[in-house]
Amino acid sequence: MGGYGDVQMIDENGKRVDGRGPGDLRDITIETDVVPVADGSCRMTWGTNEVIVAVYGPMECHPRKLQRQDRAVLDVAYNMAPFSTTDRMRPGFNRRSREISKVTKDALESVVLLELYPRSKIRISIEVLSAEAGTRCVGLTAASVALADAGVPMTDMVVSVASGKINDVVVCDLNKEEDNYGEADLPMGILPNSGQLVFLQMDGDLSQEEFNQAWQYNMDAAQMIHNFMVDSLKGGEA
Amino acid sequence: MAIPLVPKLLRAHLAELAENDARIDGRQQWEGRDVEIETSVLPRAEGSARVRMGDTIVFAGVKFQIMKPYSDRPNQGGLMCSAEIRPVAGRNWESGPPSPESIELGRVVDRGIRESGCIDVDALCIIPGEKAWQVILDLFAISDDGNLFDAFALAGIAALRNAVVPAERFEVGEDYSLGVSKTPIMCSYHKVGDRFVYDACGREELGGDERIHITLGDDDHVHSLQKGLKGIFSTEEFTEIMGRAQERSKEIRDILDSL
Amino acid sequence: MSKKNGAGGPRDRGRAQSLVVPGQDLGESEGQEAGHGVIVMEGRLRATKNGRIRNQGSTVSIEPLHTRYIPRPGDLAIGYIEGCTNNIWFVELGAPFNAILPMSLGPGKVEFGGTRSVMDVGETILCRVQEVEETHSSVVTMKGMGLRKIRSGVIEEIDPHLLGRLIGKGGESLKRLKEDAECRVIVADNGRMWIDGDLDGILEVRRQLDLMTVESRPIPVGGGH
Repeated sequence: MGGYGDVQMIDENGKRVDGRGPGDLRDITIETDVVPVADGSCRMTWGTNEVIVAVYGPMECHPRKLQRQDRAVLDVAYNMAPFSTTDRMRPGFNRRSREISKVTKDALESVVLLELYPRSKIRISIEVLSAEAGTRCVGLTAASVALADAGVPMTDMVVSVASGKINDVVVCDLNKEEDNYGEADLPMGILPNSGQLVFLQMDGDLSQEEFNQAWQYNMDAAQMIHNFMVDSLKGGEA
Repeated sequence: MAIPLVPKLLRAHLAELAENDARIDGRQQWEGRDVEIETSVLPRAEGSARVRMGDTIVFAGVKFQIMKPYSDRPNQGGLMCSAEIRPVAGRNWESGPPSPESIELGRVVDRGIRESGCIDVDALCIIPGEKAWQVILDLFAISDDGNLFDAFALAGIAALRNAVVPAERFEVGEDYSLGVSKTPIMCSYHKVGDRFVYDACGREELGGDERIHITLGDDDHVHSLQKGLKGIFSTEEFTEIMGRAQERSKEIRDILDSL
Repeated sequence: MSKKNGAGGPRDRGRAQSLVVPGQDLGESEGQEAGHGVIVMEGRLRATKNGRIRNQGSTVSIEPLHTRYIPRPGDLAIGYIEGCTNNIWFVELGAPFNAILPMSLGPGKVEFGGTRSVMDVGETILCRVQEVEETHSSVVTMKGMGLRKIRSGVIEEIDPHLLGRLIGKGGESLKRLKEDAECRVIVADNGRMWIDGDLDGILEVRRQLDLMTVESRPIPVGGGH
């Protein structure tokens, strides 16, 4: 977190720097079938975040030592393209990307019906082309849509969204500027049909009341985002 | 990169097509796929382009850094070009350190752009011996259905053409357009069924042999050549390809200029 | 949106209602069987795939928009030889797992250590899935009518969920395609088809396939995104 500052990020009417109210989301678009050579894919823009996810498989799992006799394995790779950030991101090994890949995999393994595909692998590539704030949420949400597009069976899709705190006010879906001056960040991965969670992280400083408010913002936002996801998979049909 | 299985039937079919002057996707021998170019598509990059040729889709992004000039060239900035082909782009591309294939791609595109002299490296100098701009061109594949070379080279030059030097952000003056004085164009030819074709698609690459990449400048000057993969070719074959590349590079340059 | 209502017609509107996404609730499970793409959770049916609902008797299933081929015993399949040992071939079927073809189920007589001379890596076979174990170890056989090494023609791939459309009611569409192109066409269950004939015929079949794949895209692209 960027820590405390004197910068005023919320005006006297409660409006944020980009004109949103505290519980409002940035603009979101979702598109499927964007990587023609993949089995399933999704492009999601969220504010000025842009993420592309491609799914390959289920397919034969190589190398053999990674195979599981009783279920499929997910191979999740989250990566930020070198031109996705203001200062160029050096390609290669990166601890942050490794952690995000892992927690994304843990979240998705909770919903994909892995036991239907023993000895197989499902590969999920999350590529951030443009990063603003909250790329891990965009990646996880887009990965669910890409898995659905690939016909991979799941008990539910995962909707991921974060809320946080700026100028002692709890707000939903921090943008880049807010994230820089933010005092807390609470990303969650929510199953929209049951309200259960499969992904949870937090850093910063929140009182119990603030925490409850952030939690509720995420729950409400998840329902809205889920509607966009359903719309994209149904291609505008009822 | 995982080595894909090459079905013998595919090779036999490609040979039969070649004998009958046909191609697997219905194109003529020297016909390219439709080219779509979009520029300024990446908000965080100082210059960017997206190129689509059939089902091959790539991005190029330009970033700038301030570097200390090399001691033997104190009045010059630098240009760096790298290609990354991540597993998103196809079943056979794997994560991990850059594969020899992606390194070759980056270096061949780099040579074509660098040697054409399209970027004035002297103009990138801010304070001789102390500060200069380093231009970094990153090539990124989203979907590989053959001929990433031409797609990368085209996206690369298109991105450089709309790049803006972020001088204000680095507090060294006002932003200005990078300015590209020449337009090098790469044309790639693949030996498929014992004859060369232009702009091979994925199945032609899979069942084909060697490939040849030619980068030509505005005045048809040759700036880079590369022969890749296993195969043998003759001077006559190369002469024909070179003639085709002269024609095709002009057409592609016209598309770029019309943007 | 007006475009959808205008061009779709009443039949398409009826179909639109049955498009579901993973996680979608499909009602009480009592008195209903969960078929393909449907599971029972806490006494209710739930979709696990993106596709169209099909009700057959008391079974609710989903016909997915996209899917990977999963081998089942008895399936006719076109496979590529991916490797071999002294007495086994490994066969790639475009499935989540490879199958083995033991020497004893290979074509004709094979001597121990002679697998490669009979069928080499990269060759194509028409085979039948003999068994698929729970752990997805699977075996294919070439013993049976018409099963063989494929020596000529081409293999085209088609999404398994489009097979029904390709074959048509009572095989009508496929028959017409074969007659028009004067080609032999064998459609395997794993979404691969073998087309054999003269080059013009093969090119005609491929053209028809491409047309069908484009037409079959069930979702109109566009709208807000």
